[in-house]
Amino acid sequence: MKSIGTVLIGIIAAILLISLSAFTVDQREYALVFRLGEIVAVKKQPGLYFKMPFVDNVKYFDNRILTLNWVEPDRFLTSEKKNVLVDSFVKWRIVDPAKYYVSLKGDELAAERRLSQTVNSGLRDEFGKRTIHEVVSGERGKIMEILQQSADRESRQMGIEVLDVRLRRVDLPQEVSESVYQRMEAERKRVANELRSQGAGAAEKIRADADKQREVIIAEAYSQAQDTKGAGDAKASEIYANAYGKNPEFYAFYRSLEAYRSSFKSKSDVLVLEPTSDFFKYMRNSSGKK
Amino acid sequence: MANDPGWGNRNNEGPPDLDEVLRQFKRKINALFGKKDSGDKPPQFDSKNLPILPIIALVAIVWFATGFYIVDQGSRGVVLRFGKHVETTAEGPHWHMPYPIESVTVVNMEQVRTVEVGYRTAEGRSSRSKELRESLMLTDDENIIDIQFAVQYNLKSVEDNLFNNRSAEDSVRGVAETAIREIVGKSKMDFALYEGREEVAVRAKAIMQEILDRYKTGINVVNVTMQNAQPPEQVQAAFDDAVKAGQDLERQKNEGQAYANDVIPKARGTAARLLEEAQGYKLRVENEAKGNASRFEQVLTQYQRAPEVTRQRLYIDAQEQILSSVSKVIVDQKNGNSLLYLPLDKLMNTTNSATVGAAAAPSVPPNTVMPEIDSNSLRSRDAFRSRDRETR
Repeated sequence: MKSIGTVLIGIIAAILLISLSAFTVDQREYALVFRLGEIVAVKKQPGLYFKMPFVDNVKYFDNRILTLNWVEPDRFLTSEKKNVLVDSFVKWRIVDPAKYYVSLKGDELAAERRLSQTVNSGLRDEFGKRTIHEVVSGERGKIMEILQQSADRESRQMGIEVLDVRLRRVDLPQEVSESVYQRMEAERKRVANELRSQGAGAAEKIRADADKQREVIIAEAYSQAQDTKGAGDAKASEIYANAYGKNPEFYAFYRSLEAYRSSFKSKSDVLVLEPTSDFFKYMRNSSGKK
Repeated sequence: MANDPGWGNRNNEGPPDLDEVLRQFKRKINALFGKKDSGDKPPQFDSKNLPILPIIALVAIVWFATGFYIVDQGSRGVVLRFGKHVETTAEGPHWHMPYPIESVTVVNMEQVRTVEVGYRTAEGRSSRSKELRESLMLTDDENIIDIQFAVQYNLKSVEDNLFNNRSAEDSVRGVAETAIREIVGKSKMDFALYEGREEVAVRAKAIMQEILDRYKTGINVVNVTMQNAQPPEQVQAAFDDAVKAGQDLERQKNEGQAYANDVIPKARGTAARLLEEAQGYKLRVENEAKGNASRFEQVLTQYQRAPEVTRQRLYIDAQEQILSSVSKVIVDQKNGNSLLYLPLDKLMNTTNSATVGAAAAPSVPPNTVMPEIDSNSLRSRDAFRSRDRETR
């Protein structure tokens, strides 16, 4: 029994000793080993490590990419003295844990504060040089690049690497937005009016063209019709001339009789005659003499 | 090294023989003590079967059993040994060395996750609420538009996802916003709202993927879907009106076209009528001419045989025909000083004959033959008839 008690005690003592002297470094961490306040080892590789129990202590730091988010979007002035609200985020990571610890006591919040100050002043500088339009569209990428580089330069002393500074939102303040809306509205009205009058114009054009076509079609047909009629008349004239040319004197007589006949054929035509006319010569006497 | 990972595996293959297990365990402990504290004398105890040993064995079995884990379909198990990544396991049951040596994190890779930007869908409901702060953005032409979109993503690398970012999933929203705003900021409003919607989504996806790869998040953007791209509510009415105006334009054009479609065929019809009529006229005139000529020629032939008689006959025939069908007034003008009253005005009431010139002669002898007026023409003229009765 005694020997078993010894074994147990031995096991417990061993576990205690291991837990005091061994430490693991996670894939996602760095570890700094301090011996009485002095950094004696920097463990960047994950795995199992040993230290002196009681004398050494270990501090861990995240080696992953961290995000710095702004709580509230900030106001920045652009070169045309207009305010814009800017919201951005920064991606950063600890690359030199020893430096990081020395300069910031390993406090993430302190690091973020420093970073945000740097980025903020960078933003102010860059925005002050540019118009809203440049900030929003043209040079957005360039600004982000400049900010990333300057922030990275400054934060290297703190053992921090800045991977990216990204403008998330660049918005106009509420009162400016209102005037933008008004302008948009006016613009749409202009477009609408333009479209409507364009429509009226187009319709009128189509109608006028139709009217023109109608006139042209009818006029062409008229001219062709007159041509045909003329041809008919000419032909008729020719026929008449051929026939009547055979005896013009008789034609005149014959045709006159025709004309008389067609001129006087109604009871409403009144002829006032003298009984001395040729027609009545036999009415006076059978010999027809006067 | 005492903590050589190999030793756990040896136990794993261990037979069910508890004694054997315990023997090994003891050996291990001895070895441990021997190495760590070289000064200690190795503890000596006999291998007597005591109740404490089965308890230790049981504890050890339970300890081993904690290493079993199952990886679901579409997931991966990431095994860390003392914090160091040693393997990634696929679907199925697996075993890892128990705590504190190895640990496993099972991550679902294939599951498609969604981030909504510009709006939020309430859990379990279809209603959505707007997030104006996210959805309103500036365009290149300094207009403001309202865009809502959803990003779907899964993982393409479990290791990257676990090890490189503290909150990879949270990055997706930020990256989505920055990507879309970058594109919209470079687009004209009409492009972003109408013709370019698809393209905005495609480009946003590409930019997002590029940024997320740069951060080594292991995230794969499956899709960026535009839920809504509209002008802001404040100006919606004006935009709708402009769209309506576009419709009006089409409508007006169509109306004009309808008019044209009505007028032109009608004109073609009229033209065809003119042409046909002309054709008809031509044929008529020609045939009339032929007929008249033929008739004349035939008469002429006969006339040439006996000119005097034919001429006489034609003249008398004509006179007869004319006089038999007109009203006649015969006036003897020899005694030209008498007055003759002719009811010419009555006669002329309904006639427009030009032959009345002769009636201007005012003097009519008393023995004048009274006008022989055809009763047919009087039947319709009451006034004249009454006068006629008076004179009788």
